[in-house]
Amino acid sequence: MKLEGTYKFKASQEKVWEVLTNPRHLEKAIPGCEKLEEIEPGKYDVTLKIGIAAVKGAYKGMAEVADPQPPQKYRLIVEGSGSPGFVKGEALIELSHQNQSTIVSCQAEGQVGGLIAGVGQRMISGIAKMMLGQFFKQIGKELKAL
Amino acid sequence: MPEKQEGKWVGKGMKRKEDLRLLTGRGRFMDDIRLPNMKYAAILRSPYPHAWIRGMDISQAPKVSGVRGVLTGDDVAAMSQPFPVGVPIPPKYYSCAVDKVRYVGEPVAVVIADSRYIAEDALDMIEVEYEPLPVVMDIEEAAEPDAPILHDNIGSNIYSHRFFQYGDMQKAYEEADLVVKGKFLFPKYGSTPIETYGVIASYNPFNAELVIYNNYQGPFVNHALVAMALGIPENKMRWIVPTDIGGGFGTKTGLYPYIALIALAAKKTGMTVKWIEDRREHLLASATGTDRVTYMEAAVKNDGTILGLKDKAMDNTGGYIRPPEPGCAYRSTGNHTGAYQIRNLDREVLVVGTNKCLTAPNRGYTCQELYFSVERLVDMVAVELKMDPAEVRFKNFIQADQFPYTTATGGIYDAGDYPKAFQMALDKIDYKKMRKEQQQARKEGRYIGIGLATVVDPSVTNIAYVTLALTPEQRAKGHPKSGSGESVIVKLDPLGKAHVIACTNPQGQGHETVISQIVADELGIHPDDVTVSDVVDTHDRVYTITTGSYSSRFASVGVNAVVAATRKVKEKMKKIAAHLLEANPEDIETKEGKFYVKGAPDKSIQVRHIAGTAHWNQSALPEGMDVGLYASSLLSMPTSQPPDQLDRVDSSNTYGFMAEAIVVEVDPETGQVQFLKWASVHDAGTILNPLLLEGQVMGSIAHALGGTLYEEWAYDENGQCLTASFQDYLVPTAMEVPMVDIGHVETPSPLTALGSKGVGESSTMSVPVAIANAIADALAPLGVTINELPLSPNKIWHLIQEANK
Repeated sequence: MKLEGTYKFKASQEKVWEVLTNPRHLEKAIPGCEKLEEIEPGKYDVTLKIGIAAVKGAYKGMAEVADPQPPQKYRLIVEGSGSPGFVKGEALIELSHQNQSTIVSCQAEGQVGGLIAGVGQRMISGIAKMMLGQFFKQIGKELKAL
Repeated sequence: MPEKQEGKWVGKGMKRKEDLRLLTGRGRFMDDIRLPNMKYAAILRSPYPHAWIRGMDISQAPKVSGVRGVLTGDDVAAMSQPFPVGVPIPPKYYSCAVDKVRYVGEPVAVVIADSRYIAEDALDMIEVEYEPLPVVMDIEEAAEPDAPILHDNIGSNIYSHRFFQYGDMQKAYEEADLVVKGKFLFPKYGSTPIETYGVIASYNPFNAELVIYNNYQGPFVNHALVAMALGIPENKMRWIVPTDIGGGFGTKTGLYPYIALIALAAKKTGMTVKWIEDRREHLLASATGTDRVTYMEAAVKNDGTILGLKDKAMDNTGGYIRPPEPGCAYRSTGNHTGAYQIRNLDREVLVVGTNKCLTAPNRGYTCQELYFSVERLVDMVAVELKMDPAEVRFKNFIQADQFPYTTATGGIYDAGDYPKAFQMALDKIDYKKMRKEQQQARKEGRYIGIGLATVVDPSVTNIAYVTLALTPEQRAKGHPKSGSGESVIVKLDPLGKAHVIACTNPQGQGHETVISQIVADELGIHPDDVTVSDVVDTHDRVYTITTGSYSSRFASVGVNAVVAATRKVKEKMKKIAAHLLEANPEDIETKEGKFYVKGAPDKSIQVRHIAGTAHWNQSALPEGMDVGLYASSLLSMPTSQPPDQLDRVDSSNTYGFMAEAIVVEVDPETGQVQFLKWASVHDAGTILNPLLLEGQVMGSIAHALGGTLYEEWAYDENGQCLTASFQDYLVPTAMEVPMVDIGHVETPSPLTALGSKGVGESSTMSVPVAIANAIADALAPLGVTINELPLSPNKIWHLIQEANK
């Protein structure tokens, strides 16, 4: 399952970078994220609570801000598993400057397994798209609140 | 209640004795059984299709209040052996994954708790560390040497591989005017019985005996397999089956690994443990038929004569191979050439493994796969030769005067009149007129197609075919296998009412009704005076490993056993009657509950007096006769023999016939298929009960419709099952099943007591290819080729778009 999106923020590239890599903001922006705790620089323990189709459940796992090249790009990796199965996602996030705004382009690839794949797969790409939208909408809010 | 009628009961549409209890909610199914102090199991299943289990932390689960124990793969490996299976190098298939998982849904641990809720919650507390491995999902890729390997001890994903030659295919090629080829893909689909699997196990440590309630359907070899895996003698493991089973269709032959698993849970905890499979578990990890890739070609003459068939068939049994597989590849050996006189064959057979859920026989047991290629190819021959497809079939049929007919592969077809039955199907749809209408419709831009299929329906498995997985040389070193046993006990009580104790283990077929009809006829009594107990208990029933309700056995060997036991009782009754009436036993005849002397109907005695004498007054019996009135039969079919040196085998014992004639209209804009006419003609020998026969035929049609248009156990490229609920696994409902004009030809079988033979699987074999032929015929002007199922509207639409390019 592959997803793409481009998002525009009226803020400097450095500021957007800061929000997009700061665990305090990521915790609020990652949909369903209940906990995000740093275990080492750039690596976090996460707890996610997500409902896909009829399957709601908690996933424990990790998130990682990998290969950071501030303030241009990094890879965001999220993995979790729980009773409904597992979720894995990796997004390449690239920032660029344009007319006092910052453009964030995101290329994501996701995988689910176990029960959620068996009963929710039809919905998953739609839900993932929605969650990606939610993520960047919240990032926008976090930026405004700075 | 059955209607009151006098005279012959067999052949009448007597209503089912079973229905009163079933329709009023008084059926007793697996989940209705509750034992004292029963605990409940939930199973943790792998979310990965292929992964090492690197670690498992179960320490938190027992802390949940109400949890009584946890069983892991390590326990299973310590307490049991892998199930035996008849392939050269068996994979280590335990009831639970031990160090590696090989399909999504494979059990990895069991939690036993005071309730299912607690057990399910505690599953969340188990942490499993998986190391995912590359997956292989495609049959042909799995057989490649560089594919990810599922089982290191085998070294490849090929479980079984054999070559067969019958007749002289080389000569067939030399004599042929042309060769017609195709590649055919058959999907993985299942049965979805309304009742899922269920097991209750208790272990008594004082006598080391396991008592297990379960709703398996047979064959009884499952009992032996579990005993071998658990390392206990068979007589220390008692299986009891509930009064009613809510459908089997072959799927419930795949229950036995769970019987072993729950038995181990009971043994480890010392408690009585119940597990009922939920629907998601069933759709993820129960059992399906095999998906199959077939390359097949026919060597034909210009007049339509098919001289020979060459094929390579590759079956997929998923993450492991387990009995009765590799039967999938060999079950249809005897009827490989269907209804035709084809004497030359060249075959290559492979059974491979992929990271998909495991298999079991699925109503039709690979005959739908076989005939999908044979009967598509027959239509392709007709297209190549510009002949009518009906004409090609008539040209190649085995004729009515050729029975018993021994096929090139060793099948002994007992009886039939294929041209007659096929003609009946053609007449029902007014075939010639329909062809003209089709031409007219094409001029109007409408896509109407006529699909035909004529197939032989094998019933009553001869267990011998499973040994074809071994070469004749390998077989010579082991013990031969053959047989197809069934047992029945008939007894009369002191007031002359009959009770039949059967062991057919039915799952809704109506055996109680048919047994009552038969016994009533044989003894001259009323079906209401016959009761039937067909509830299996391995400690108080007599059986052989082939016993059970599968492979459409009842109407052939089941009926033979009923008749044999009843006639033994009747012989004894005649002797008693003759003794009391001072006549010869040969002169005694029966009618309406009375035994009388031939030619002197006033010299008679009632059944209840004969029975009463046998029970109450031994002094009135002929000298030396045992008291009481009962007889038993435990018999097989004489045709059940091991394969010969040339790999020929009579893989089933009786062979029916079906002809389908289906008219469809396809909407090229939407890919939607509409049924305009449908005739289905069957020859299952003598009809025992037309109501039950109609039920079986309509059921098999509905089942086949699912596999043809809707159902597929679908996986994504990562090995995830996509169809674990009825939202995604589409099953046809009554709304989708069209009206079908059903017809019958009755050619009595010489091998069965009443001339009847099995019909439970029937149209599941013929319908998929008949519909495919109809759609191919409809879309022929567009240049569309149909060689795969299911034919969903979007698949048909895509095929049309591809053809347009």
